[in-house]
Amino acid sequence: MSVTAERSVQAVHVHPRARDYPGSFLDGVIPNESELTCGTRIEPGKSYGFFTDTTLCIGCKACEVACKEWNALPADSVGFTGMSYDNTGGLSANTWRHVAFIEKRGPTGTRQTDQDAFQSGWLMMSDVCKHCHNAPCLEACPTGALFRTEFDTVVVQQDICNGCGYCVPACPFGVVDLNPLDGKAHKCTLCYDRLKGGLEPACAKACPTDSIQFGEVPELQARAEQRVEQLQSLGVAGAHLYGAPGGEGATGGLGHLNAFFLLTERPETYGLPPAPTRPANRVAPGLLAGLATMAGLALGALALLGGGRR
Amino acid sequence: MHDMPGPAQGGSAYDGPTYYDRPSLKPAPFNTTVVGGYIFLAGLAGAAQMLAALVRRARPPGFRRVARTGHALSLLAPTLGAGLLIYDLHTPQRFANMLRIFRRTSPMSIGTWVLMAFSGSSLATVAADWLGRVPGLRWLRPLGRAAELPAAVSGAALGTYTASLLSATSTPLWAATPRALAVRFGASSVASACAALSLAERRADNHRTARDLDTLALAALGVELAASLACRRRWRAVGLGAAEDTVSGKVLLEGGADLVGTALPIALHAAALAAPPAASRRGSALGSFATLIGSLCLRIGVLEAGDATALRPRESLGFAQPRNLPRQR
Repeated sequence: MSVTAERSVQAVHVHPRARDYPGSFLDGVIPNESELTCGTRIEPGKSYGFFTDTTLCIGCKACEVACKEWNALPADSVGFTGMSYDNTGGLSANTWRHVAFIEKRGPTGTRQTDQDAFQSGWLMMSDVCKHCHNAPCLEACPTGALFRTEFDTVVVQQDICNGCGYCVPACPFGVVDLNPLDGKAHKCTLCYDRLKGGLEPACAKACPTDSIQFGEVPELQARAEQRVEQLQSLGVAGAHLYGAPGGEGATGGLGHLNAFFLLTERPETYGLPPAPTRPANRVAPGLLAGLATMAGLALGALALLGGGRR
Repeated sequence: MHDMPGPAQGGSAYDGPTYYDRPSLKPAPFNTTVVGGYIFLAGLAGAAQMLAALVRRARPPGFRRVARTGHALSLLAPTLGAGLLIYDLHTPQRFANMLRIFRRTSPMSIGTWVLMAFSGSSLATVAADWLGRVPGLRWLRPLGRAAELPAAVSGAALGTYTASLLSATSTPLWAATPRALAVRFGASSVASACAALSLAERRADNHRTARDLDTLALAALGVELAASLACRRRWRAVGLGAAEDTVSGKVLLEGGADLVGTALPIALHAAALAAPPAASRRGSALGSFATLIGSLCLRIGVLEAGDATALRPRESLGFAQPRNLPRQR
């Protein structure tokens, strides 16, 4: 055991298993560790997000596990859905990464029984909170519990949320959920605590194929466009981005999605809406139409009830 | 594990592939009876306060009593209504966090402050009514009169902001028709307030003003019926027609809101206007009761049918197609 390792063993409580690897002891967190793991330095004031390239996903669910481990989230269910390898079902208050498994069917609607070499009949996609540019959940939150962080991500402050639940129907992607046990809204924080410490989010760091890429949003968008071109030139005609500025998934005033995706099939296949909208755009039309109705009926009332004076 | 709904019934909006027909949206976690009850009470209280201010200007027979009844009805919102809202929070002890901020993109935040303004001004009008004659408390009377206008304006907003609250979500049924839903809620609020005030005037044997209130209710119900038809047309156009196939859609929206709450009182009030005044009293009271029940059914029914569309991926994905996007300004 080296002297440094000796000292750190004494300095902090260490799991006995960790003593097997004295060489791996560190005096503390590696500063800006994200530069080592994903080539991105995390600095407040910049915009961070995920680029999830579904063509690289192998469905290992390491992202789901890493997310649950880091954020100490309990399991949602221990049953089988009976529909695919997806036994998670969907995003929820306790599940902030969800790997969707879609078995492609042949043109006759039945499962393909023959495959080209090295091709898979499965589409896999790791779904997550989109951290929208104009985030409907944040815009709906009446307490200010939902806020935009210095990393341009959207987070629920658990010490503020009063569980009104308005963010749940506000989300166009069905991401935000209430936990009935604690009565608060929960969703992916894009590992706010890890970003503060210069660490890459847990799911992206755990992804073994770099299907989940973490980085600065403009950089990721450029990288994603190159990837689409590359795939198209390789013959993947359906490759396209979901959540690029103003494009599919970021329509109706949403701007762009900080967590965006490369898909090869139409978004509905993955359970994603092709043309979501920004709910806040409907506030004024509703209020004005309602107030106009009240004003019109008030004038009618004045005319009608004033008849008594005649 | 979330509940897996069966395949969509009726005319499916979207026939392409979905993710195992699992919901792609989450329904609002509101208790539909509790929140529907609040929307009904807020509408009734807000419109009653607005009508109270109007009758004090128009001065029909017995207007002082009508205004007092309207003021008293307005208390339903800050008391029972606010109680229902807090009850529906999943962390109710933090209800005061609603007052931390004002957010103009959130009708729930706007509504919180509308309810605060309405509660304060309504309390002043009621205090002036009930305590204004007590020696030493006469200063309450000018205060009550000063509070009338803010109470009426915030009452008008309280009677209709709840439609905007529902529309400013991603739940397809609510998002599909923001304007028609607001007109429908606003008209239903006025109709329910007219019904309650009319019942009170009939009890006090002031049939003349009750008849005027019934006529006003008739106008409001006409507007509500038109908005209901507009809602239905829009829902069918964007492939949400099947929402009305749910039990709640059929029973609460078609049966409760449209038939009992709108068509029946329209028929009764119209018949009452044609008949001699003395012969129409029972019909008027029945119409008023039906209006109140229908107004409550409308709110619970819209909440329930909306949740159903959120849970049905063929309807939510069908609504979220590019053809349904609002036109670019």
